[in-house]
Amino acid sequence: MKAVCWMGTSDVQTLNVPDPELLNPRDAIIKITRTAICGSDLHLYDGFIPTMESGDILGHEFMGIVEETGKGVSNLKRGDRVVVPFTIACGSCLFCKKKIWAACDNSNPNAHLMEAAYGYSGSGLFGYSHMMGGYAGGQAQYVRVPFADVGPLKIESDLSDEKVLFLSDIFPTGYMAAENAQIQPDDTVAIWGCGPVGQFAIASAFMLGAARVIAIDRLPERLELARKLGAVTVDYSDEDVSVLTAVKDLTSGIGPDACIDAVGLEAHSTDLQGIYDKVKTTVLLETDRPGVLRQAIQAVRKSGTLSIPGVYGGMLDKVPFGAAFGKGITLKMGQTNMHNYMKPLLDRIEKGQIDPSYIISHRITLDEAPEFYKIWRDKADRVTKIVIDPWAETAA
Amino acid sequence: MSMVLNEKPNAQEAPRVTPAGVILNGRYLPPPQDKDGQLWIRTNALVQSSSQELYSLWRSVERAPEWQEQIVSVIATSPTTSHWVMRSGDSTIEWDSEVLADEPGKRIAWKSVGGDSGNAGEVIFEEAPGSRGTIVTILQEFRMGKLAGAWETFVGRNPKQTVIENLRHFKALAETGEIPRSRPQPHGDRGMSGKVKGVLYSENISILPGKVSGGSL
Repeated sequence: MKAVCWMGTSDVQTLNVPDPELLNPRDAIIKITRTAICGSDLHLYDGFIPTMESGDILGHEFMGIVEETGKGVSNLKRGDRVVVPFTIACGSCLFCKKKIWAACDNSNPNAHLMEAAYGYSGSGLFGYSHMMGGYAGGQAQYVRVPFADVGPLKIESDLSDEKVLFLSDIFPTGYMAAENAQIQPDDTVAIWGCGPVGQFAIASAFMLGAARVIAIDRLPERLELARKLGAVTVDYSDEDVSVLTAVKDLTSGIGPDACIDAVGLEAHSTDLQGIYDKVKTTVLLETDRPGVLRQAIQAVRKSGTLSIPGVYGGMLDKVPFGAAFGKGITLKMGQTNMHNYMKPLLDRIEKGQIDPSYIISHRITLDEAPEFYKIWRDKADRVTKIVIDPWAETAA
Repeated sequence: MSMVLNEKPNAQEAPRVTPAGVILNGRYLPPPQDKDGQLWIRTNALVQSSSQELYSLWRSVERAPEWQEQIVSVIATSPTTSHWVMRSGDSTIEWDSEVLADEPGKRIAWKSVGGDSGNAGEVIFEEAPGSRGTIVTILQEFRMGKLAGAWETFVGRNPKQTVIENLRHFKALAETGEIPRSRPQPHGDRGMSGKVKGVLYSENISILPGKVSGGSL
């Protein structure tokens, strides 16, 4: 089959590789019908996430048709149409029983790597480094799905793939970000980053009763999508704009009740701290660029909540923890507990409350993926979301 | 009250303790420290299963190759003795093991009696506080110098880490009926750097069969 492989920093290639096979009784093989490139794939592309190996198949947002199931999978059969969550969960450990699926005890075969770095290991993820399990990803024609009796969500209506594909990660991730923001009716929520997760966080914040959403980014096409959802936008790249002043002005001077950092470890900053982080990460004295995190801690109101769906990987410098303590804020973060959100959000899509496909700007083939990783990183061509049809041929 | 995992579990009487095996008279009991010629590892796991079922799985010594890394075969030679074959890389080692203490649903202790490996161990099964499942605590001793331990780490898996990984596999098998794996699977050319990383991440350790008795997938 064809698959998009990570071959090194800034080096992604579409290669012919063997088809996946069932390895365990609770596995399924899925023939992928649609897959996507995630913002977090850029952290891999840019070399920020350790324990990638050349040849690793990328991709953790995918859906398709069940091709084959192991004998331990009784709820799926060949031909079923499914969306697969990017976090892999066994369904029977203490954490899965508590519905903290992203903390599954059993799904990471390389748990010892994550234990060394983080103390304890989270769940395995598709196509996201060997520390996170070393599972082959879904930017490919086929994928092996472990614990297929627990994760995949069957799509029984005739909704198009594009409308349900984002249930695999970014819609639930944006929704959990809004839920983690502990939004109360009439709250004002400020969201950094209007990429796909930011978009769904904005939509979800309104669903949960936010009175006002402030959306912060620099890319006009993203800010435009945010305004279409009803958010007030702030362009931080505008020389006359100070984000901290803007959110204060837009919240009657008290600050947002909740802030959401939908940017994560590769924040772009226009000021001195941006240069500081760039230098320190380049010489390996810092692993992440936490510009947005610092700003959001500063911006949130007293006793407010900061929700962090943006990915962080390692050691952060100069995080204003005194401000966090001094204001008594609540921090909530982590990989998405996917399995809690997929069905309820599918219901919302089926009821027509939201059509997640609105963020798609590019539809490509697997062969075009390497070129589009670059476009995605550079935010060129007004890109907002790239979806891959793994069976489409590239026009000559 | 149950028996504690003491420093020489199979050579002397164990003191009595409160549940959990890592507590002695209400105080936390740290794991024993390595001495020359002796390596110790104590580790535990919370498993969603009953102590009786976990005891039975552990006591079924012939099933050990399903969840213990690099164990090729185990043959029960009597109700309390068994013959073990382990393959690490190109070398094969064999030894006999004898059960010294056997308390159904609670505790098993054993030691090797001749052969190529000097090891002794003890495992206890106890209900976790708050009915959260069963705590499985293992203390294992290897008669092995630090240098030999370092060599094993270099060529394969550190013996202490092997005990940690085996308990992880045991828990996974008990909770999910299989042992999660991400090998073998499709990938592009690993190149030199990918192969080196694979070894660093212990991905050269052979993959466990999981539930071998279950037949084909």
